[in-house]
Amino acid sequence: MQSSPLPTGVGAENFRAALAAFRAALGADGVLDRDEDRAAYLDPYAFGEGLDHESSGILAPAEVAEVQEAVRIANRFGIPLWPVSRGKNFGYGSAAPVRRGDMILDLSRMNRVLDVDVQQANCLIEPGVSFFDLFDHLWANDIPLWMSVPGNSWGSVLGNALDRGIGYTPLGDNCDALCGLEVVLPDGDLVRTGMAAVGKGATWRNYKHGYGPGWDQMFVQSNLGVVTKAGLWLQPEPEMTASVEIAFPNFDDAGWAIDILADLRRREIIQHNIVFGSPVRAASTLTQRSEWYEGEGALPEEAERAMMAKYGLGWWNAKISFFGPAYMVEGNMRQMRELFEARLGTELKFRTWHKGEPYEASARGVPSTLGLQSVNWYGGRGGHIGFAPVMPQDGAQVLAYAKRVKAIYREVGQDYYSTFTIGRRHINNVSLILYDRDDPASTGRANGLFKRLVVEAAKDGYTEYRGHIDYMDTIAQTYDFNDHALNRLNNRVKAALDPKNIIAPGRNGIGGKK
Amino acid sequence: MAFERSLTILGAVALIAACSARSDAGEEKPKPALPSQIEAATFGQKSADPGERLFGRECAFCHVGRNTGTIMLQRRLPEDVPAQLHQRTDLSADYVTAVVRNGLINMPAFSRAELTDAELAQIAAYLAKDKSK
Repeated sequence: MQSSPLPTGVGAENFRAALAAFRAALGADGVLDRDEDRAAYLDPYAFGEGLDHESSGILAPAEVAEVQEAVRIANRFGIPLWPVSRGKNFGYGSAAPVRRGDMILDLSRMNRVLDVDVQQANCLIEPGVSFFDLFDHLWANDIPLWMSVPGNSWGSVLGNALDRGIGYTPLGDNCDALCGLEVVLPDGDLVRTGMAAVGKGATWRNYKHGYGPGWDQMFVQSNLGVVTKAGLWLQPEPEMTASVEIAFPNFDDAGWAIDILADLRRREIIQHNIVFGSPVRAASTLTQRSEWYEGEGALPEEAERAMMAKYGLGWWNAKISFFGPAYMVEGNMRQMRELFEARLGTELKFRTWHKGEPYEASARGVPSTLGLQSVNWYGGRGGHIGFAPVMPQDGAQVLAYAKRVKAIYREVGQDYYSTFTIGRRHINNVSLILYDRDDPASTGRANGLFKRLVVEAAKDGYTEYRGHIDYMDTIAQTYDFNDHALNRLNNRVKAALDPKNIIAPGRNGIGGKK
Repeated sequence: MAFERSLTILGAVALIAACSARSDAGEEKPKPALPSQIEAATFGQKSADPGERLFGRECAFCHVGRNTGTIMLQRRLPEDVPAQLHQRTDLSADYVTAVVRNGLINMPAFSRAELTDAELAQIAAYLAKDKSK
């Protein structure tokens, strides 16, 4: 049951006065504080009910000026605000604040695609724009620009980019595709970064860095402002695409296969982030665990082999796509055949698309929520968390780490679900941990496994790039050079810009929880 | 399992748009093709019915085509009840409203900031409408 918490350090009378002030500024639609409103913002993937992160209410501004006013009022009354673009950060806490009782500042109503520059392949959008919204806009207006989409497309384009989420087509490092931010600072002032700081922003979306220090990254994975607009680069529609799914039959294939794929990625021959995933990744989207195994403990090897046989999977599975003029894509296909067919003893089967053909056969990023299906693996109300350390692009090291992690999964009785995402110079190993929210044994195992993986990765000097609200301090502590000098810097900047700790206390371990 | 029987896999997770089910006599009966992922993402975009347009914008990405809502409902519903919401004939507006506002098992609740009461009423009316007419 919910319990109507108050923001930390705020009395009931003061909170009532603050709500009245928020209502006067944002209107009745902009302040949601009924129990059912607050319940809608509980984390749908929480362990149990998620009440340890319940909010005291929600502010939903519709305009930048309303965000500024909300932040000013929050300062006046000492009300901490947890900004979310759309609140669909599933697996990381969704919309819920780190600290119970903080108000959520939901930017969902600011959902306009403000402009698309077709010739220069960019757009200007608000934080409430979802991947589906942007795709719909491009589709409805027959705009020949493609976009990067993540596994869960229900979320915000900007929110994903600001949490350093990724997609799997060109320009898929979503944060790197941002170009110029508009930000409400913790005191309510409004700033624009990069070329957006010049006049009316004639070159806002053309050049990222502007003049002098570049502050854009200060507002990424941070609590130093509220981003209210951003430029974003898009991909011009190519002449041809070709996609192929490659199944690597053995666990140990990860070593040599990752070395080849990472080399192609470093050379930009493969222009997108590559996912290299284990059998449960595919099977959890298509089926439930009980269809393979109903016993206790981790899935036995035979069950994993059965999935591979039934769906034509390998132990590791990668989907690779190429984009460009036909002569280039056909050359890429030839190179892939030379690199992999003899080693695997099978023919690579490409799916090709040429401009003008129906898009279903293309490698265009189409938003989807199909990946969310995986939370139904154990049945009941499911959820997932992931531990995803950054690793070097070295197949031998990656394989050795994977073996250790797989053994830990087996030891604790969790089904092994792993993907290696190959970026431009790094690899990100996502150890996904699926659980049944309402089974304490399942959530307890997930929590214990996560903490153990943090320790295991640290042995090699690896750590997370992104964090769930329950583990933000834990992860921040792993950035430990010179006795955590980075965290000291973050907190000095926080104290200077946000002395009352109004914006997202505890976000990424910054600002503290008191 | 009905779901497993009706699913054909291309490669790792590629899905076909058509599926089949067994009749009582055990023979395969073709089912109509499911919308593609693009058709699901753009469902209702050109509809004259504002309720269908809103359903397309807010719900279809899970509940049309081979998507999360369709798959989960397919597991729970009897075989003769369509798993895609826009094909259902047994939904009342009150039921739709309650599920959207409260969530259901793995479906998260929708807040009033994301979907206003007026918008939800249009979606609920569209889903409750007798589509045979």
